[in-house]
Amino acid sequence: MAGGKQNKLSREEELLLQDFSRNVSTKSSALFYGNAFIVSAIPVWLFWRIHQMDLYQSAIIFAIGTIISTYLVAMAYRNLKFILKHKIAVKREDAVAKETLKKFADDKRMTKKEKDERVLWKKNEIADYEATTFSIFYNNALYLALLIVSSFFVLKNFNPVVNYSLAVGSAAGLLALFSTSSKI
Amino acid sequence: MAATCQICVVLGLFLLPAFIYGDTCLAPVVKSQTYSTPEAVVSTDTVLIAEFTLTCKNNLKNINLYADIGGRTIPATKTYEANKYQISISDEHKKLPPGTYEIRIFDEEGFAALRKAQRSGESTDSLKPLFTISLSHQGIWSGPVLQSEFVAAMTAIIVWWLAYTARGKLLA
Amino acid sequence: MKFWVAASLILASVYILPSYEEEESGARLLVSKNILNQYLVEGKDLTVEYKIFNVGSRVAFDVVLNDNTFPESSFSVVSGNLKVTWERIAPNSNVTHAVILRPLKPGYYNFTAAEISYVVSEDSNERTIGYTSYPGEGGIVPQKDFDRRFSPHVLDWLVFAFMTLPSLGIPFLLWYSSKSKYDQPKPKKN
Repeated sequence: MAGGKQNKLSREEELLLQDFSRNVSTKSSALFYGNAFIVSAIPVWLFWRIHQMDLYQSAIIFAIGTIISTYLVAMAYRNLKFILKHKIAVKREDAVAKETLKKFADDKRMTKKEKDERVLWKKNEIADYEATTFSIFYNNALYLALLIVSSFFVLKNFNPVVNYSLAVGSAAGLLALFSTSSKI
Repeated sequence: MAATCQICVVLGLFLLPAFIYGDTCLAPVVKSQTYSTPEAVVSTDTVLIAEFTLTCKNNLKNINLYADIGGRTIPATKTYEANKYQISISDEHKKLPPGTYEIRIFDEEGFAALRKAQRSGESTDSLKPLFTISLSHQGIWSGPVLQSEFVAAMTAIIVWWLAYTARGKLLA
Repeated sequence: MKFWVAASLILASVYILPSYEEEESGARLLVSKNILNQYLVEGKDLTVEYKIFNVGSRVAFDVVLNDNTFPESSFSVVSGNLKVTWERIAPNSNVTHAVILRPLKPGYYNFTAAEISYVVSEDSNERTIGYTSYPGEGGIVPQKDFDRRFSPHVLDWLVFAFMTLPSLGIPFLLWYSSKSKYDQPKPKKN
């Protein structure tokens, strides 16, 4: 949290941003779980068609794998979103302020404070939006890459059931692990 | 021993047609079916097979036939079906490249002439075979150049790499 | 699997031992029977190659090669014949014969020797009987297992790409449109 830019944030801003921290709203949570479910269910296709697993016989393991993976992927979305949001808010500050102030430039009834609040609110909204969409995109890309590499290269010679369990488990697990660090 | 054998071959080649009295097959009607190794998994060598049934107008049966494929001369194998013959060639994949192989079939008489021409180093192209079968070999498929999963993995890694650089910029 | 193929490729021909008086003057045939496949797969071609060498000093007459080791219930013939004959095989020469079969069911199969019989000299009517080398036991891989390992699955991968596209494309485009709206080039240093 030590950065030159970070100091620019006022107390109010920080409060507002914290409001949006790891505790995501229901709407955002549904979005995360929905996306996580879709991306977690996609591997079933690969294991059914390419690794020739029987869809009905393996229904239980597919279901368990998808549920665990959905949970972990959603967690990764949340973590990365949290890391990204502050940074994006700082990056977009000037542009958002400029746009908002321009919009209300002619409005004489608005006080300076009101305008600042508007800017703050808008900035938050944009940072949240970008962090959410980017987090989903990034985690999906990493998840699929991890899954393909582990399933078709690392675990290539394993029996399909073991391959599925380990590939999905490791892809989702690593994703959740990486999401907590801002390095990787 | 080698010398005696050569004599055997020579004697056999010259005398046999005379003994058997090779009546020529008139107006041969040939029904043929060919096979060539399609992919490397199926065979370590390329195998070409031609099977044919020969019907002669003069009702000649069970005659001896010889095949010439680009300089390889081999006797046609007889089967237990009436007038059905088989010719099999096998060699390394490289030595039997894809293309159309003209299998020229000779009877005893034609075969004698063929051997004579071969020994004296003459071209055998001018010799007229009894009939010709063309065998088209599509070539050996030895699997895709790039494996699908490799392409998929590379694509996934590239997409992730782009996402990673974008993330790096956002976090900078 | 591979070691087995390699083993089968070693020419382990069974000698047909002629009696002493024949050794000087008779025909002697050595026959190898090899499976040329890299992998034996259910429903895929199986290449059997027979090579007959006449190592004797005389012509072998009325050579009959009969392979009845491929029951119809387990193999279907794609090309070639399992019972064939040559009128004569000259000394120091060889003939090649090939048969393409298709295994109908997976599992281990013991490939055994085919039978060869011939007449040593023209005036004799006694038939000499011998056997080819035997390729040995080989595992026929189920088609499903083979496909899993070797089929390129191009269509399946394309469908997969199509399925992943929205989950990558939509969030990316949403993010990118917002980014390009607000991302400004860094202010120029004065």
